[in-house]
Amino acid sequence: MKIVAVTACPTGIAHTYMAAARLEKVAKNFGYEIKVETQGAMGIENKLTENDIRQAQFAIFAVDIEVEGKERFHGVKVIQVPLQEALKNPESIFAKLQR
Amino acid sequence: MTQKSRTSQFVFSCPLSSGLHARPASHLAEVANQFSSDCTLTNLRNGLVANGKSVLGIIASDIRHNDRCAVQVSGPDESAAHAALRRFVEDALPQCDVPLAGIAESSRSTVPPKQLRAGNVTCISGTPVSGGIGYGKVVILQKMTLPGNLGTQAGTDSQREVERIKEAVTAVRHRISEKLKYSLTPTGAAVLQADLAMASDALLVQKLKEQVLGGKSAAQAVVETGEFFIDLLGHSENEYIRQRSADIEEICLQLLEQVCGTSPAAAVVELREPSVVVAEALAPQQLLELDRHWLKGLVLEHSAATSHAAILARSLGIPTLAGVQKARLALTPGSEVVVDANRGLVVPQFSPAARRFYQREQQTLKRRKDGWSRHADQSAMTLDGTRVEVAANASSGEELILALENGADGIGLFRTEMMYLGRDRAPSEQEQFAIYSEAVRAAADRPLIIRTFDIGGDKNVPYLNLPREDNPFLGYRGARIYADHRELLQAQLRAILRVSTEGCVQIMAPMISSLEEVVQFKAEVEQAKQHLAQNGIAFRPDIKIGIMVEVPSLAFFLDELSPQVDFFSIGTNDLVQYFFAADRSNPRIASRFPARHPAFLRFLEQLVQDIHRAGKWVGMCGEMAGDLRNLPLLLGLGLDEISVPAAEVHEFKRSLARLRTSDCVSLLDRALACKDTSEVDNLLATHQPLHREPLLTEELVLLGSTSQSKEEVIQEMVDALYIASRTDDRSLLEEALWSREADYSTGLGHGFATPHCKTDAVNADSICVLRLKEPVNWDSVNGESVSMVVLLALRNSEFANTTHMQVFSTLARKLMNEEFRQHLLKITTANQVTTYLAEQLGIPLGANGDSSTAEQPASPFSP
Repeated sequence: MKIVAVTACPTGIAHTYMAAARLEKVAKNFGYEIKVETQGAMGIENKLTENDIRQAQFAIFAVDIEVEGKERFHGVKVIQVPLQEALKNPESIFAKLQR
Repeated sequence: MTQKSRTSQFVFSCPLSSGLHARPASHLAEVANQFSSDCTLTNLRNGLVANGKSVLGIIASDIRHNDRCAVQVSGPDESAAHAALRRFVEDALPQCDVPLAGIAESSRSTVPPKQLRAGNVTCISGTPVSGGIGYGKVVILQKMTLPGNLGTQAGTDSQREVERIKEAVTAVRHRISEKLKYSLTPTGAAVLQADLAMASDALLVQKLKEQVLGGKSAAQAVVETGEFFIDLLGHSENEYIRQRSADIEEICLQLLEQVCGTSPAAAVVELREPSVVVAEALAPQQLLELDRHWLKGLVLEHSAATSHAAILARSLGIPTLAGVQKARLALTPGSEVVVDANRGLVVPQFSPAARRFYQREQQTLKRRKDGWSRHADQSAMTLDGTRVEVAANASSGEELILALENGADGIGLFRTEMMYLGRDRAPSEQEQFAIYSEAVRAAADRPLIIRTFDIGGDKNVPYLNLPREDNPFLGYRGARIYADHRELLQAQLRAILRVSTEGCVQIMAPMISSLEEVVQFKAEVEQAKQHLAQNGIAFRPDIKIGIMVEVPSLAFFLDELSPQVDFFSIGTNDLVQYFFAADRSNPRIASRFPARHPAFLRFLEQLVQDIHRAGKWVGMCGEMAGDLRNLPLLLGLGLDEISVPAAEVHEFKRSLARLRTSDCVSLLDRALACKDTSEVDNLLATHQPLHREPLLTEELVLLGSTSQSKEEVIQEMVDALYIASRTDDRSLLEEALWSREADYSTGLGHGFATPHCKTDAVNADSICVLRLKEPVNWDSVNGESVSMVVLLALRNSEFANTTHMQVFSTLARKLMNEEFRQHLLKITTANQVTTYLAEQLGIPLGANGDSSTAEQPASPFSP
């Protein structure tokens, strides 16, 4: 399964990246292919392309602020959680996908 | 109206932002009192009319900023009085607002630190007016009130009572003058000077006489007159004027004491142990009577950052809070309290939590200071090994000591004119000897450049009889008046020479504009030496003599001047205004001709080169040297010394150590080629020495912390950044970190927490690492406790350093890695932490965080 994700938090210097790292790691454990875009203090990094999004079955928004370029995800099933969920209990997010 | 007596009038608007308060009012009254003509002042806003010869009358007319006032003069010398008053109002009055040393009103928030709040420590807040922390037992001074029930001593012989009033006024004036004589600080002198003016105020004396002639006893007259003025001033809408009622009360009490022969208020309190004095308000003389040895702090109810007592407390270095409401009720006499005048708090109960906090606080303050003195012990050197003396300017013993504590390599400019101001006669040789001697002892072997008095028509020194001038800055001042005041100069030179054996004292002459003046000045020094030699008094025969470069003409006469002097010191304030013919006190033009103008930079570059070619030493004092932004330019110029504000010496030393002379030289070259100041400013803005500060140093690694709560941990880390001078505003930094914690805890599981913020409160992007001996609760996501804390602080700046942000994001990602975390938990020394992180994050060890990237060139100066 291919998944895309966006992480973003208000300060954008720590948790955005921690959540990204966490999601990448846990996705791997579940055997999923994931690409995480970070929207932090340095702007958008590891930007999701149109192609990435089209191929993905799910999009995870682990965010505490509005996602930039939300319209890109039109037609994809989006699961939005508070960012701390990705830090606290990322497994549950992926478990949701399986249901 | 007789032919002789004429009346004329002019109107002005008050240029002073705090209104026509006591000090300018006393100057105005002084001018008016020089003439026999009557002078009436009418505040056109409120219609209040005042006798222009009365300080109290002027103050009571409540003249505020931009109020329009009519000055009416009538009498035999009307035209001279009119001209003098007009000149005063136009030229001198706008200068009267120069605040006395250190009245900067603090706008800090007085929210107690989170740790104290968490420990349920009660705090009372106030406005800090003089920094520091003081511990002691509460001593409450009750408000001084004029005794109302004085008994009606029959005032039968009104003529005798008038005499008693006169004698009392004379005695009180004498008493204040005596204190003035021993006042070693210019601030203290200015305050006493205002008291003196008030004690001899025309309106006060007139009221007293009226009362006595109306049948009152002298004592009654004083009480009623006092009440009249206290009421008058106390009802002013102006806070500043309301505060003056404490001054008048003090003076009336002294008068009463004279009249009755005893002290009716008995307000003098003897301190016998470390004490914190609590009062509603304090008159300056009351403060001076307290034993400074035991006086550890002051808490005032009045919100009076500008009260004379507050100013004085500041100059004496006594931690002081003002505006502490109901302090006398809230604080129990004899109880142990802390006055935290850095944060604006009084802690009324020294509970174990408060004790723990302040024990740590004391260590923090000490370590921060020690950190500075480490710089202090080192001479300032650039990255490529150029040594530059970082000296300080000082006008008083206190300032000098502050400068040395902050690591000054010497005193590049010790101003002496303050000693001559606000008194009836010049300071004696002995008096000066005492002051210089204290200064030399404090300076030890460091150079102390004493500048002989720089006085001109802009300063009010009655015993010099200096004529008022239309243009005093181009007039009769500085070394130009020495020929007419030789005795004064001789006394000062002798005093300086006498202390020269005790250290590295040098003499500097101000406002030199020609070779003749230098030759004359040196002859004066010779004469003073001879006088001492004849009397068998020791001095240093080879004492160095230098001159200020304030007049551009000197630049074209260096070949002749250089052989005559040992050193030059560039005084930029005057040099800039003479160079551009732009009055620096005129805001409409001064800002257009700043010292950073390329034309002035070119002039300086030539000047410094020529002086060096002549083999002489050259330093710089004045505002240009005191602006940290200019430092790269000054290094580029190749000055031997810069003399900067006492409080900022350590900042200059730290910044200097981050600069490279070769870079500065090429920066200056580019600045010299600029077309205007804004181009120079842009050039300087691209230069961000702070970004060269490493993100992490061993100083910021705290292993084995014994903090017991999340609040203490954050406080400890904020303190570590404060000790390392990476923040100067701990409460702002703490607030930023806690506001982030308020969103949700930064404890992210695995026993790690990452508090972070983006804030103006840090001077440099920083990582701080802390490992706890015993885990603490972090309100964590999983309720689990935390034993490792990694704090990230990013500077909020338009020149945000993307490399540092990159490092932060890498670190954040790494913290999700089990192996990385385990390593950090096991590591044993601070050095291992910095080495490991440098390697893992790809940052050069102990070097610049940004030098390895393409976005920020290794040297911002290289084209």
